[in-house]
Amino acid sequence: MCEGDCKGAAKGRPNMKPVYPKAGSYPDFAKLVDRENAQVDRRVFTDEEVYQAELRQIFARSWLFLAHESQIPNPGDFVRTSMGEDDVIVVRQRDGSVNAFLNSCPHRGNRVCMVDAGKKARGFICNYHGWSFGIDGALRGTDGKVYEKDETFEKAQIGLTPVAQVDSYKGLIFGTFDPDAVSLLEFFGDFTYYLDIMLDNDEGGTEFIGGAIKSEIDCNWKFPAENFVGDILHAFWTHQSGAQAILGGGVDLGKRYDELAFQASIYGHGIETNLDKVGNTRTLGYPDLVDYAFDLSEKAKDRLGDIRARAIGAVSSCTVFPNFSFLPGQNTFRVWHPRGPGKIELVVWTLVNKNAPDHIKEQYRKGVMMTFSPGGVFEMDDGENWEYSTRVNQGFVTRHQPLHYALGIESADMERDLPGHIHKGSLNDANQRLFYTRWAEFMEHDNWTDLQNGATAAPKKTATAAE
Amino acid sequence: MMIELCPSAEIAEGEIKRVDVEGLPAVAIARHEGALYVFPDRCPHADESLAEGWLEDGRVICGVHFAEFDLDTGEVHNPPVGCPNLSFFKCEDRDGTVFALLTGDNANV
Repeated sequence: MCEGDCKGAAKGRPNMKPVYPKAGSYPDFAKLVDRENAQVDRRVFTDEEVYQAELRQIFARSWLFLAHESQIPNPGDFVRTSMGEDDVIVVRQRDGSVNAFLNSCPHRGNRVCMVDAGKKARGFICNYHGWSFGIDGALRGTDGKVYEKDETFEKAQIGLTPVAQVDSYKGLIFGTFDPDAVSLLEFFGDFTYYLDIMLDNDEGGTEFIGGAIKSEIDCNWKFPAENFVGDILHAFWTHQSGAQAILGGGVDLGKRYDELAFQASIYGHGIETNLDKVGNTRTLGYPDLVDYAFDLSEKAKDRLGDIRARAIGAVSSCTVFPNFSFLPGQNTFRVWHPRGPGKIELVVWTLVNKNAPDHIKEQYRKGVMMTFSPGGVFEMDDGENWEYSTRVNQGFVTRHQPLHYALGIESADMERDLPGHIHKGSLNDANQRLFYTRWAEFMEHDNWTDLQNGATAAPKKTATAAE
Repeated sequence: MMIELCPSAEIAEGEIKRVDVEGLPAVAIARHEGALYVFPDRCPHADESLAEGWLEDGRVICGVHFAEFDLDTGEVHNPPVGCPNLSFFKCEDRDGTVFALLTGDNANV
C-alpha cells in the first residue's frame, strides 16, 4: 500500500500475482485411516479441522473434473463449477483451448460471473465496481475514467486467478490448482484403461446431453465417493425395492459372477464391475437401450477387447479420486462438491456416444432423470443412507466407535492380467480401503514424488494389460 | 484537411486497427463488408481502446463493458450507464491510402 507522500513510486504497489497455496503434512490425520486393521476413524466425516485439511491437501492439489468438451464448443462458451469450495469459471478461448479461472474479482473479491453457464461470452464484468475481464482472464478495464487517470495503476498485471493447470482426456476436462502437480495422465496412471470403457467405446467420442441436475445432500463427500468406488454390495439391500419396481426382481450380478467380477484400483481411483454386459442399462427400464448396449458391447470388442467391451453396460460403478464418479451402463456422471464436512452439492450429467441414435440419447437422458436425480428411484435411496451415516456422528460417543471396512481383506488377485490393484469379486471393500489409503497419502505427503509412489500406485507386474 | 492514416490494405475485412496520429488522439479504422470506418480509438464511456474490441454483426464492440455501436449511425446498444453514441470521422480510400477528416465536426457516415 502506498500511503502519504510516496508520489507514485513503484515501492509499495500491490503484487497481484496469483497465489497457489502450498500443501503441508498432516500425519495425525493420515493415521485416521488404519490400513492394518481395515478401519476408518469417523472423524474423517465430521471434524472441521480434517475438512479444512482436505481442502488444502486434496482439493487444492488433485486434478478435479471441470466440464465435458461438448458443453463449451465455441469461443466464449463457459460453465461455472467448483473445485472444492472454490468457485471457478471454465471458458473456451479464441484459440480453441480451455482455461479456467477463480470466479472472484481481484479488487474486492466479488464474483464476476453469476450464472451457471452461457454461450459466446465476451467477458466477465464484476457487479461491484465494473472491473471487466476478458475470456482470457485479463483485466480489460474498469468503470468510468478514474483508474485511467491514476498513473500508478498497473492494469497489465491484474487478472482473474487462473487454475494452475487445465487438461483434458477424451472429452473430459480437468484442472488442478497445483502448478507442481503431475500431469493429468500421470494422476490417472493406468486407470485410463478403465475410463476408456465409457470414453472410448465408439469411434465418434462422447458428449453430455440435457444440461445438469443439481441438488444438495447433507452428507460428507466421501460417502458417495466411496460408494461409487466399489460398493455394489449396498444395492442388494438399499435398492431392492427400486430394482423390483423397474426390473421385476432384485439386483442380478450375472451368472458368471465368481469367474468375471472384480475390483480395480490405481491411485485411489476405483472401478468395480461384473462384466455382465447390460445389468446397469437394464435398470433404466428401456428395452431399446438394452439392445443398444448389447450391440455396442459386440462392436466395441475390436476397440477395447472382450473384458472392457463386457463392462460398458454392466453392473458397475467408478470413482475418479477424489470426487468425480460415474456409472457405466446408466451413463450418469457426477461430482460430489464438498460444502463443509456435512454437506455436498451434487451435479449430475448424462453422457452418451455422439454417434448414438437420437432416441437412444433421449432414453439415456430420461433414464438418468428417473433413477439418478433428486427425484430418481436410486438417488433417493442413497441420499438418506449417506445423510444418516454422516449425521449420527454428531453423537460424541458414537463418533468414537470403529467402522468396519474389512470385506475381502484376503481377496487380492495376483493372477489376473489387468492394470492396478485387482481384487476378486465386486462384493468387496477393497477399492474403498484403497480410496481411504489414497486419502491418507494426500494427508501425509507434501510432495508429488511421495504421492505417486505409495501403496496406492499400481503394483509392478511383469505382463502388460490383456487386450 | 484530410489527414493520411495508413495503407488501406492494412485493414483486413472484419478487423479494427489503431493508428497513431501526430498531435491528435489515436484513431481506429475498421473494415466491414469492404467499407472503411474511422473513429476515435477511445470509447465514449471510459476512454478504453476500441481497437482492442472487435466487430460483430455490423457493430463495434467495446471490449471492456461490451457497449455496441452501429457502424453506420454510431448509435449505442447495450450501453453501460451514461455511455453516449460513437462519432465517426469522414474518410476516404484514395488510391490505396486511408485519409480522414480529423478536425472540425465529427460526422457519422
